[in-house]
Amino acid sequence: MPDSNTLLEVRDLTKFFDTPKGKLHAVDGVSFKLERGKTLGIVGESGCGKSTTGRTILKLIEPTSGQIIFNGEDITNYSVRHMRRFRTQMQMIFQDPFSSLDPRQSIMQLISEPIREHKICTTSAEIAKRTLSLMDTVGLARRFLNSYPHELDGGRRQRIGIARALAVNPQLIVCDEPVSALDVSIQAQILNLLRQLQRDIGLTYVFITHDLSVVRYFSDDVAVMYLGQMVEKASSDNLFANPVHPYTKALLSAIPLPIVGKDKPVRKLITGEVTSPVNLPDRCRFFSRCDMCLEKCSSACNPTLAEIEPKHFVACHLIDKEKKDVQ
Amino acid sequence: MEKVLEVKDLVVRYETDDGIVHAINGLSFSIDKERTLGLVGETGAGKTTAALSILNLVPDPPGVIAGGSIILDGKDVLSMGEKELERMRGNDVAMIFQDPMTALNPVIPVGQQIAESLEIHEGLSREEAMEKAKQMLEQVGISASRAYDYPHQLSGGMKQRVVIAIALACQPSLLIADEPTTALDVTIQAQVLSLMKGLIDNSHMSMLLITHDLGVVAEVCDDVAVMYAGRIVEIGSADDIFNHTLHPYTEGLFDSLPNLKARGEDLIPIKGLMPDPMHLPQGCSFHPRCPYATEACKTREPELKKAEGSHYVACIRYNESSFCLRRDKDAR
Repeated sequence: MPDSNTLLEVRDLTKFFDTPKGKLHAVDGVSFKLERGKTLGIVGESGCGKSTTGRTILKLIEPTSGQIIFNGEDITNYSVRHMRRFRTQMQMIFQDPFSSLDPRQSIMQLISEPIREHKICTTSAEIAKRTLSLMDTVGLARRFLNSYPHELDGGRRQRIGIARALAVNPQLIVCDEPVSALDVSIQAQILNLLRQLQRDIGLTYVFITHDLSVVRYFSDDVAVMYLGQMVEKASSDNLFANPVHPYTKALLSAIPLPIVGKDKPVRKLITGEVTSPVNLPDRCRFFSRCDMCLEKCSSACNPTLAEIEPKHFVACHLIDKEKKDVQ
Repeated sequence: MEKVLEVKDLVVRYETDDGIVHAINGLSFSIDKERTLGLVGETGAGKTTAALSILNLVPDPPGVIAGGSIILDGKDVLSMGEKELERMRGNDVAMIFQDPMTALNPVIPVGQQIAESLEIHEGLSREEAMEKAKQMLEQVGISASRAYDYPHQLSGGMKQRVVIAIALACQPSLLIADEPTTALDVTIQAQVLSLMKGLIDNSHMSMLLITHDLGVVAEVCDDVAVMYAGRIVEIGSADDIFNHTLHPYTEGLFDSLPNLKARGEDLIPIKGLMPDPMHLPQGCSFHPRCPYATEACKTREPELKKAEGSHYVACIRYNESSFCLRRDKDAR
């Protein structure tokens, strides 16, 4: 019996790409559940597979294996044609508002395109009315109706991207680095807008970003990814207060905090860089950079997510050790 | 304190077909010996133009340095001849750009790229220069055996380390770093920042760090200058700026940052947008976005005035008795 409160469930999702050098593990066994009206933040560094995860959920990329269950319906094997019906329910906001909008379309055309395409409204009067109301919703002044993207700044362009996503009344929006290309003062405007929309129309977000401060501010739950896998998953407050995985700890400690003076925590640096995601051996993927690893980490198989306290999951061999120590 | 760099009343314009872009409008600041100054501001504030002016590299046309002076180690950069400038660039001042992918030559091994500046400025032979280049690589945490690698064989973080090695090879007295870690991942950013800080401290250099990230500034800089529409609106020690903020724009920047907020609380963005540098507003250029602006702000251009010790602010209201920033009110 599917849980009616769960909008999206992903089970053991994988996406491998064949490269001349071997199999590239872009997404490798990602599972999560997302409740209606909530936000799941996915964080990680470049190449950890967070964007591929986002796109695979929407089936913009075909998964290699695993299951995607949307609204209780398994959409994993649906054809492109079959997926069209679902496109009105799941939308995406892209990082770069400079390259994700057709430069030859006016704002009117850009926002009305999904309305026409999915036949949300039929008469041109209705389409125009809906376009204008969408512009109001995302805070774009109506005088820009006949402007072109190059005439607008990054913040306004991102508002167009949001209006286009909202045009079809979706339930789920995957936001892929929606504010990374924007200045801080504009970033705050867009984050406030996304949050306001969630409050008003109960949107559910998958929020993908490399920026830990943004994810903390914005998400209910946070998943940390490393080389295609989730290494830790917990409620946002819990994850930031009690990080357990050595990678999460290192990532949090690496955020440069805008604090000067006595309250500033000491930073802990990790050495090395992310290894290649091609032909990964079956052991902990963080092994080569981890400063806390045990003897067995070099030989034991890749750790899987284990629940260490309610709703806090960690994939690390240290957890077993701690458990034994307690016993 | 001995000053390494002193910029005074600098004015830079770009004269384009569409009109005149007022990029820098009376910029003044200085950097003391062995200090690191963070230059903070949003896109279009004029940060990069300021850096290019110091090297006299503003593209001309359309760029015109219309006034002011830039004194570097006691010499005026703006009156130097081409020969003198060439000697100065790389030798006295070096610059690190944001994007390490485009700053390196893709068809020359990285060791040779470091050696090149040593040959030119220090007059070393090819072998000596390569030897020194390998030492530089080790200093920035890359094995000397990679000296013969091409840029595409290195990761983004390593490329930026190579760029740092090139910049520091001739031990300049001033290093200008324009968003040096913006293109890097956080864990790599942390590594590169701590590396830069260590190298600068050890070789007694000064640094001008240009960034939009207040976190990076807090991590690295001794002093901070906040730039808006081609001017400094507030300048002082890191403690002055972060803990005793005086200018409404600086306050706006801090309040826009999500990391200082509890989850669920709304951010307080600065309303509106950066002004169009072709049509800057009259009076204080921040007044259309400033929540504290009065009638006087629309007409009177604020000067950068000393508030306390090393702390300067350009706001006509800062010392009014009734004037109090939001963040100070909360603290009281």
